[in-house]
Amino acid sequence: MTTEYYIPEDNAPLPPKNCDVLTTACDYCIVACAYKVYRWPVGTPSGGPKASENAFGIDFPSAALEDWVAPTQHNVVMHKGRPHNVVITPDKQTQYVNLHGDASIRGGCIAQKVYNPDKPTRDRLKHPMVRINGILQPVTWDFALDIAAEVGKHVIKKHGANAYSVKTFSYQFLENMYAITRFSFRDVNTAAWTWHDTPSKATSTPGYRDAGFDNFAPSYEDWGAADTLLISGTDPYETKTIIFTQWIKPAIERGMKVIFINPRETGGTTFAKKMGMGLHLDLYPGTDTPLLGAIARIIIENGWQDDDWIKNWVNNKWETDSGFGQGTRNTPWQWRTTWGKFQTGGFEGYKKWLLAQNEYQLENAARITGVDAAKIRQAAEWLAKPKADGTRVKASFGIEKGAYWSAGTPNTNAVASLATLCGAGGRPGQVVGRFGGHQRGGQNGGSYPRNKSPEKVPGRRRRPLDTDRWLKSGHTRLAHVIGTTWMQAMAGTVGLQQAFEQMVTNNPHQVRSHDKQEIIDTLKKRTDSGGMVVWDHDIYLRDPIGSRFADIVFPAATWGEEDFIRANGERRLRLYSKFYDAPGDAKPDWWIIAQMARRMGYDGYDWKSSSDVAEEMSRFSRKSRKAYHMIKVAAHREGTTLHEKLRSLGSDGIQGPTFYNYETGELHGTKRLHDTTLTKADMDKKWGTDGPQGANFHSKKYTHFNSQTGKVNLQKHPWSLISDYWYWLQPRDGELWHTNGRINEIWQSGFDDTERRAYIAQRWPADTQFMEIHPDDAAARGIESGDLVMMYNERVPTFKDTILGVYKNHLQFDTLMKEGHIELGKGAVTAVAIVTPAIKKGVLFTNFLNMWQPTNSLQGAVVDIITGNYNYKLGIAKVRKLGESKYKSTFNSLSFVPRNLSA
Amino acid sequence: MSTETSTPRDEQKQERSAAAHNKVMLTRRQFLLYSGSTAVAASTISISLFPGSAQAAQARVVSYPRKFIARLSELKDNVPVDFNYPDELANSSAMIVKMGGVQAGGGIGPKRDVVAFNYICTHQGGPLQGSYVAEGPHRILGQCPLHLSTYDLRRHGIVVSGQAYESLPQVLLELDGDDIYAVGMMGLIFGRHKNLLES
Repeated sequence: MTTEYYIPEDNAPLPPKNCDVLTTACDYCIVACAYKVYRWPVGTPSGGPKASENAFGIDFPSAALEDWVAPTQHNVVMHKGRPHNVVITPDKQTQYVNLHGDASIRGGCIAQKVYNPDKPTRDRLKHPMVRINGILQPVTWDFALDIAAEVGKHVIKKHGANAYSVKTFSYQFLENMYAITRFSFRDVNTAAWTWHDTPSKATSTPGYRDAGFDNFAPSYEDWGAADTLLISGTDPYETKTIIFTQWIKPAIERGMKVIFINPRETGGTTFAKKMGMGLHLDLYPGTDTPLLGAIARIIIENGWQDDDWIKNWVNNKWETDSGFGQGTRNTPWQWRTTWGKFQTGGFEGYKKWLLAQNEYQLENAARITGVDAAKIRQAAEWLAKPKADGTRVKASFGIEKGAYWSAGTPNTNAVASLATLCGAGGRPGQVVGRFGGHQRGGQNGGSYPRNKSPEKVPGRRRRPLDTDRWLKSGHTRLAHVIGTTWMQAMAGTVGLQQAFEQMVTNNPHQVRSHDKQEIIDTLKKRTDSGGMVVWDHDIYLRDPIGSRFADIVFPAATWGEEDFIRANGERRLRLYSKFYDAPGDAKPDWWIIAQMARRMGYDGYDWKSSSDVAEEMSRFSRKSRKAYHMIKVAAHREGTTLHEKLRSLGSDGIQGPTFYNYETGELHGTKRLHDTTLTKADMDKKWGTDGPQGANFHSKKYTHFNSQTGKVNLQKHPWSLISDYWYWLQPRDGELWHTNGRINEIWQSGFDDTERRAYIAQRWPADTQFMEIHPDDAAARGIESGDLVMMYNERVPTFKDTILGVYKNHLQFDTLMKEGHIELGKGAVTAVAIVTPAIKKGVLFTNFLNMWQPTNSLQGAVVDIITGNYNYKLGIAKVRKLGESKYKSTFNSLSFVPRNLSA
Repeated sequence: MSTETSTPRDEQKQERSAAAHNKVMLTRRQFLLYSGSTAVAASTISISLFPGSAQAAQARVVSYPRKFIARLSELKDNVPVDFNYPDELANSSAMIVKMGGVQAGGGIGPKRDVVAFNYICTHQGGPLQGSYVAEGPHRILGQCPLHLSTYDLRRHGIVVSGQAYESLPQVLLELDGDDIYAVGMMGLIFGRHKNLLES
């Protein structure tokens, strides 16, 4: 493995003039910067420093912002069985996303992620493996797949489809997601299914969805087009780097104000403040709702709301109720309104409700949130107080996980309503969205069988099955895990891990035979005796899911090893080119699924390549925000394939939804959704005269909002939805708030860079969790930077039962606690302390997914009532010093410098 | 500022050519391999950056010019002094600073608080001149004006916050009496495909 004794190189090869050049996009964060891969055989000359001698066509030494090859941007791979040099650098020619070829630290080092047996990627999974006598042993694909298919069929037949639980990444390329969902929903038809980041197939931002806002409606350029940008639950400089450096930073320099809502101050906030354009609302975790409510209240009390916008684009009482009580009642918006908790009957109703809530009075909100009242007032002024000439401030609103994973429903409702009061949503410079986490690789190949879920919340609809609780209750007999750690990524990690141990490792039916049929019979017996079998697709062997629990491990081929399509946070679709051979026998997930599905007797799955999968799946994308079907239509008219057409669009790609104009033969994309400024002429140009022609698809969201009327639903955002839990958690007896989150150096890249990129491992030694603590809290506990500390929580609440919610408050935390549905457990992780004023006093911050010291084990496994997702960012911990780590007295790695320190 | 022309030196102590420099490397390597880091502190040379990796560090010194940079006694606390290294060509701008008694990896002098770094941000080549910060126990360069990277000068220029793909190249220093020489470099200077363009 990589050690911190990393010695940087002082040279790097330049790609020669005649090398292969392929386009791709970064594999990591949502922003998906454009990259180029330069490839030439080992043993042939590298390029020279003169413009005529290298593939960049520039003289070296290069100047600032010009092409350059850092040593970490070079690697050696196998291509068609022969060693090749690759240099992977940001595309300096791109017209979008990472203008000027900008790059983050993650993408900048991406060449180090490819398989190279001489480097720390040497432990990539290369062969299918079956656990025999406790040891994972390499076998053939046929051997592993036959076992998987036979046991899978048995589990479904004997224990029902819901005993076959699938836990999968949601993003790792459209072709894979299509195969996985086709298999899971259309064929297995299991409700015990979810993504890597939720215990159930949950919506993280119900407030946006119910208001009518698509999470990814804006374009990146929109984030720099406001007068005031409110950013909640993230600092995009840390996560979403290039959105910040290329779009937000220049806007700040031009005079855009930015309000950051975050208990922590990092580089982007520091820069905005330094420029006099930043306002940092440093709240306690989970208190966004009172904070935003107070801002909304100040705006309404002063009459600063956007009355024109509200009149034209906000549902009034009748529109709010339209369709309600008749016809199709079964939409999320409608069933939720049956609670009466969110529905307002338009602006007047909202205003009346808001003014009646005590917690939104400024002084109360300041007390709950811990934010200075003057700063809350200033935020309201920045967002909505008319300019000197009487014109409106253009305000935009972007959120991320700190906001919607600390109190999902009330927080997202509150942001949506505040944004609507300010006239945001659907106009350049006035947009509402998410900044995003992972890239958008979802593609449904079937419908989730919601009616097979036993869970139901008060109201009408069933809620998707909670796979964690389902498993812990012993209902899961086969856990099919695709590219996720499962346990460490979920709150209440410890209880989940104990359930795996109980059902997998402690079950008496363990494989002791070389014989395939005996292995199958043993695993069947395990599932029949209340135990569980585990299949795991991954690129590295993960602990414990792979190394301790998996009965079968499937090695996956990934980025650069297969042609794949994916979209980014502005719906931009690109082909991610294959540029080298996958290690060993590794195969893409779509292939693994197809092989298993065919053996299980399901029809179809006869794809020969990822291009075949793409050809089949495109029509199912037509309703989606990244609808790419029309690229295929264009491709076929030009005699080519979807993949090849997309390849020809290079690293710029095209923004979905896409349109094809049959009259002009032009392919068109979509800059922003809900674009209320679009005219009929604009649309005619995209889809032909007088409405969508041919296979073009019409959707309300192009020009209106995703609601029952196309206008925005202005919703209540009751603090009471979460306040019982929040007050129960409130730190006592030496506890502090504990929140976790992403750090720039490891963000959406932890699946391969934490241990495997020398430089990143030097910055953050892989097996070392860190804990940021405020100097005052540290002093009170005798803790200094570099000390090894024990973080522990002696009251980790876990919601343990699958119960039906019938009456209004059935699933409120207080009720669950009173009725005995909450179990209290313990969590503990060690960490290296970083004493820094960058974190709010009274709050601890850790890296959200350090696999070795998972701090989700400190966070309660109590789901948001509406979303069914955990509030991962809301937790508590005690902390005490164990001793000193070696980092306290050495200088090789880590850094204790506050992230907000700057000249 | 360039010190070499403004400081008349004893014949014996003038900069050595790369070739001459290499001749003395054997003794340096032995020193690196067998001497404890604390013993090095106040001694004549101190280029043992990473425990256990002396050989690799040594490799970064071979063939680099030995260049006089400054006199220890003339460095003021937390006031960087500019120089160029390993040559006078593009992107060779560098700084040396005595960090007020705050010990650093690769630091020389009695308090091991004297370090030197290249000034060009390794992310996209932004200028870090004028961005030195000394606050409490922390010593950084940054934010870079282009994309806001900051670098920890106590820890071999590792990125604190930001986007750089490698640490800020650290200039390896040697102390000979009161004279400080630059003798090598850790990490590739932005814009170059090799640090030693003239070799």
